[in-house]
Amino acid sequence: MQLLRYLQHWLTGRGPCLQVANFVPETHPLRQWADTFPWAALVAALDRSFARRFPRPSTRGRPPVSTRVLLALELLKHELACSDEQICSRLRTDLAVMYACGIQEVQVDGSQEHFVLPEVLAQFRSRLDAPLMEELLAIQAATAMADGLVSPAHLVVDTFPSEQGSQRVNDAATLYKAQKKSSRSSRP
Amino acid sequence: MRRFGRQCRGMSKVFVTLVRQTERQLLEMGHQVLPLAWAAQACLHGAPQLPADQRVRLNIQLTAALEAHDRIETQSRRLTQGKALAHYKIVNAYDPTIAPICKGKSNCPAQFGRKPGIIAEPAAGFIFAFHLPIGNPSDASYVEPLVDKVEQAITRVRTRSTLAIHSLAGDLALNDATLREALHERGILTVGIPKTVDPLPPSPTPEDVLRSLDEADLHHIRTPSQVHLAYACGYSRPVVESIIASLLCHGVGHLTYKGHRGAIVQTGMAVMAHNAATLVRIHEYRLSKRARTFRRRLRLRCRKANHCNASIN
Repeated sequence: MQLLRYLQHWLTGRGPCLQVANFVPETHPLRQWADTFPWAALVAALDRSFARRFPRPSTRGRPPVSTRVLLALELLKHELACSDEQICSRLRTDLAVMYACGIQEVQVDGSQEHFVLPEVLAQFRSRLDAPLMEELLAIQAATAMADGLVSPAHLVVDTFPSEQGSQRVNDAATLYKAQKKSSRSSRP
Repeated sequence: MRRFGRQCRGMSKVFVTLVRQTERQLLEMGHQVLPLAWAAQACLHGAPQLPADQRVRLNIQLTAALEAHDRIETQSRRLTQGKALAHYKIVNAYDPTIAPICKGKSNCPAQFGRKPGIIAEPAAGFIFAFHLPIGNPSDASYVEPLVDKVEQAITRVRTRSTLAIHSLAGDLALNDATLREALHERGILTVGIPKTVDPLPPSPTPEDVLRSLDEADLHHIRTPSQVHLAYACGYSRPVVESIIASLLCHGVGHLTYKGHRGAIVQTGMAVMAHNAATLVRIHEYRLSKRARTFRRRLRLRCRKANHCNASIN
């Protein structure tokens, strides 16, 4: 119910109320994936860090989108290899994504375009930093160890390269992509 | 370095020549300007007619310019090995937090980027921690920060007090005497780190076991069965490539978030998503034969008990 309070600005539609868990089978890959996370501990760590680093000057105003939803969206983005826009769009239409975001019941208006805007996700991401990421990963690892699923007894270390670069939509990029696509499609 | 090996040959050579020529010109120009900047700074010290605040301001500006030159010069010299970038990609080659990835490759132009390090368990591929330093330091320098992070995670576990790191495996890049000593002091076996290019034996002889314990001086902490497992880990170290391949599928191979902090956030999220997928596989017991054997010997829990024979003998 606490989550519902945070999300009430987009969960008070006029349509019928849907129980999300009823629509997502227990064997669904996203449901199984989402059930492995220690959400309560992760969200508590995030909220603690945000409260310390970004104190709210006032308690007035509309409640923000829940940290649970935003963290799940950010993780889903990497799991499903989506962009911010794509994952936010899927949250509106995909019940498995809703389940992974911790939404238990939904009552939406058909005319409503978004639940969470991509800009909100980008803003959430800008608040994350290195110590917080380490803490989140440590919480996940500690939970898995406590459950007896993994053991740190024997470990391997390795490094790998990753490119650093960003893509910008501009005329040159669009033309280059179109040329590449047309040359690929014209091949026999 | 597995990704940017041979694919960057061929037409890229044209761009490499262009980069090299441009950077050489910039380096020559900078070489002439540098003495002028030093002379200006010396003149500034001997100019009492200038007000003190103005002198301080000019001095700060000149010092900053000299530091920037030093940094750019280093990067420029590295850039002479540059590779053609994709047409639509924007990279700041002078960003001090990124570095050319040219180590370990033969006759291949460098790719600019970062070099994350991971520490994982070899059975199922769960990643305990990652480390993303600034620049391109040696692989051996990754180990201690990674081990620290795993130990911090272990301290969070309250229900099981017997958790500890027994051994560490790695490639030849980790073969460093100081590192081995530091790990032995922490009670960690290093038999999984090779000393030569020869492959490690899958199972050691009793003499090997005794020699390993003697070398590490860990008779009182580690048992022969743990040494056997450490050898097995070292022997099957190449499975880390599949963990890295999974991470690359989660988008770590191309960092699009801005800056060093962005790279850490993107890598961290991808690692957590990968870990969740790994835990699903463990729950479902969708593991390789080698992973199942490891888990049996480590006495780890598995959901489908009828598939799991927990006895070592």
